[in-house]
Amino acid sequence: MELSEDSLRGLQRLADPAQFSPRAFGAVLRAAFLSLSLSPDQAAHPAVDDTVFQHIPPCHIKECQAAATMFILEAVRNTIDRAALSTFLEDCKFDKERTEHFWTEYQKHRESLEILLENIGRTPPHVSDVSWRLAYEIKTNQLYKTHRPSYLVKFNLESPDTSQAKDISFNCSMEQLQDLVGKLKDAAKGLERTSQM
Amino acid sequence: MEEVDRILIHTLRTCGTEIPEEVQSVRHFNTELIVEAVVRCLRVINPSVGANLSHILPPGMSARFRIGTSLAQACQDLGYTGEVGYQTFLYSSEPDIRALLIFLAEKLPRHSQEDADQPAGKSAVLQREIATKIKQQLCLPWLPPSCRTAAAKRSQSLCLLHRFHAQPLSLAGDSSSKSIPPDRKEYWERYLPSVSTQLPHAYSLAASLLERNTSDLSAVQEWEAEWKSQGLASRLSPEEYRSRKRQRLQKRIQDQLHKFSQQFTENHIPGSSTQDLVDMLKAFTVEGGVDQNKGSRFTHAQKFTHQQDPQVLTEQMQRAAESLPKKDTQDAEAEQQELSSLQQQIEDMERDIQGLSETTKQLRLTIAQVEEETGKLQQHCDEKEKVVKVKKRAVELLPDAENNLAKLQAMVDGSTQRMTNLEGQWESHRARLMDEYREMKRLQQEKEDESSRWMKDVRDLYDKIRAAADEARRKEELYKQLVSEYESLPKDVSRAAYTQRILEIVSNIKKQKEDITKILSDTKDLQKEINNLTGKVDRTFVVTDELVFKDAKKDEPVRKVYKYLAALHENCSHLIQTIEDTGTILREIRDLEEQIETEAAKKTLSNLQKILEDYKAIKQENALLLGRMRQT
Repeated sequence: MELSEDSLRGLQRLADPAQFSPRAFGAVLRAAFLSLSLSPDQAAHPAVDDTVFQHIPPCHIKECQAAATMFILEAVRNTIDRAALSTFLEDCKFDKERTEHFWTEYQKHRESLEILLENIGRTPPHVSDVSWRLAYEIKTNQLYKTHRPSYLVKFNLESPDTSQAKDISFNCSMEQLQDLVGKLKDAAKGLERTSQM
Repeated sequence: MEEVDRILIHTLRTCGTEIPEEVQSVRHFNTELIVEAVVRCLRVINPSVGANLSHILPPGMSARFRIGTSLAQACQDLGYTGEVGYQTFLYSSEPDIRALLIFLAEKLPRHSQEDADQPAGKSAVLQREIATKIKQQLCLPWLPPSCRTAAAKRSQSLCLLHRFHAQPLSLAGDSSSKSIPPDRKEYWERYLPSVSTQLPHAYSLAASLLERNTSDLSAVQEWEAEWKSQGLASRLSPEEYRSRKRQRLQKRIQDQLHKFSQQFTENHIPGSSTQDLVDMLKAFTVEGGVDQNKGSRFTHAQKFTHQQDPQVLTEQMQRAAESLPKKDTQDAEAEQQELSSLQQQIEDMERDIQGLSETTKQLRLTIAQVEEETGKLQQHCDEKEKVVKVKKRAVELLPDAENNLAKLQAMVDGSTQRMTNLEGQWESHRARLMDEYREMKRLQQEKEDESSRWMKDVRDLYDKIRAAADEARRKEELYKQLVSEYESLPKDVSRAAYTQRILEIVSNIKKQKEDITKILSDTKDLQKEINNLTGKVDRTFVVTDELVFKDAKKDEPVRKVYKYLAALHENCSHLIQTIEDTGTILREIRDLEEQIETEAAKKTLSNLQKILEDYKAIKQENALLLGRMRQT
């Protein structure tokens, strides 16, 4: 896990007890975790007129808060364990107490942070339901008589907007449907095999 | 042998055989113990076979015989190549039993170690994690989106994801660094919003922060790579290298922009875009002085081309006309009239402007021409003036002609002398300066060579550092992996004792091999010596024989000597023969003694007795059965 130089500088400044008292440190950490939480009304920044921050110039506070937030994100991204976290913080000159504090806060928020990161990305939409209709084709404009079944299949997709349900519908012949079903079965078997490994 | 036995007993105990404590070696195994051990091993190796056999020896002789044969059959099915039959179990001999038990112990499946033997390599660990995760997710039943719990959401709501949209953040930099202008510091202090308030959503904040971190890190890495490859080779300090690079890039951008703007003017593309381009160029070149002239020349050139202006005006008018709101028809008519009158005015003014500009052009041309002429005339004038001056001087000096001539001649001589003087001085100076120049050049070349050598050293050092860092990382990963592997290994068997014993045995064997080779070489030497000596003896005897025989024909005592010599030779050879025989007999004795030992270990006598007894017992049983059969 690596951080950019600016963040490392901010962390080192945060570790300095002369610049940040323990209460100020706690406040900055709390603000950093709050800014990454998913509940919408808590994106508050530490009020600069807090008595805790009286002696600290605001640009330092902002620098340290940005550094702390970046560090938290990188830690969650790499699923850091306790040993690695303490080595990294020791390199940034954190003393034991602050490392403990950080670890407890981190454990509290780890789940929600993991959910936050997991929810960023893109996947193809999920199929949640299928409805089909079997029709029988008698003739087309190109052939006088074609007696064969044709399937109209509709996949219902999950979408983030629950009011607007999207779906995919298509028409296929029996061989194509057999092909599709065969492929689905292969996929399911492959998944079973992976889970048995 | 004790080691082997101890290991064997331990293995047999682990598969369930109850071996009493006082039994320390295979020699002390009695028949029941042997049978129990073998049956339990078979049960572990091959449960289907072993289940049919009981491990307790039945008292009846025929049953025992049957069990013996079935056990022998099972061992042969497993692949035991030695000779095995019911006699190995019932009338056992130590070496056979040991070999059989070793074979069975080897065949025991190492089930307890199967899991720990799984490779704990990274990819295997990852695959196992994937498998467990998938299994976990497959166990959750599918729930419709509104009913999903938090855990279900993590695996099933994966389609409702947010895009990774990174936006630029403005972060406070190093406020203690000196290269930051004070306005920026003040902005950081007062007005810069904190990171959490710059973006509305936690998702975009997370994405932007991650992006920012990675881009900073990769910028540093790229700079390092570039510095190591090109920067060091250019022998500049980092700041100089960076400034030079910036200048190079700026120049390239300017050239490209100029090229394209020239293309635009040639193709008469409407002027608004060219004007923007020109403004951009002007803004871009505001730092370079020379380029400003270029820029200004460009603007002058623009002002000279008239085709652009009416087009600009008409376009602007069109745009204005489109943006104006629609009015009523009356106003529209009045407007139209106004428009046409204004248009007329504009056209008149245009014509005037055109005429005036033409006249200005002409006037400028005439001005240029006239200036040229004046320049030429001025030059002419100067030349004439110079000639006049010379002539005047000559006229002044003319009355006092001879004196002046002499003075002039003296002046000329003096000046030629001064010239030669100066030339001499110049030569000496020049020679000195040339030497200095050559010296300096040589020093500079040396310094360059030295610096290129240092450069190479620095690059080698960088490579070594990188290699060492990679090695250290790899070793750390390996260490972590091995530690986790070691923790997962079973701790019941003390491997250290075994490995130590194995190493001791290996060193013992090595010593013994050395001893054996020494003995062999001694034997070889001895044999060579013996051969040598026998040969010598024979040759000496032949020589003395001949010598003495020659003299024996004449003298009587010599004949006696000859007889004694022959007798001596015969006796000695006899002696040697006896010694050899003694050696062979000793060897045979030793062999026989060994055979006696092995035979004694086979307990053949006691086995034979047992066999006789069992044979008698079987005979009795047979008689009993026959009797019973006859009765019924």
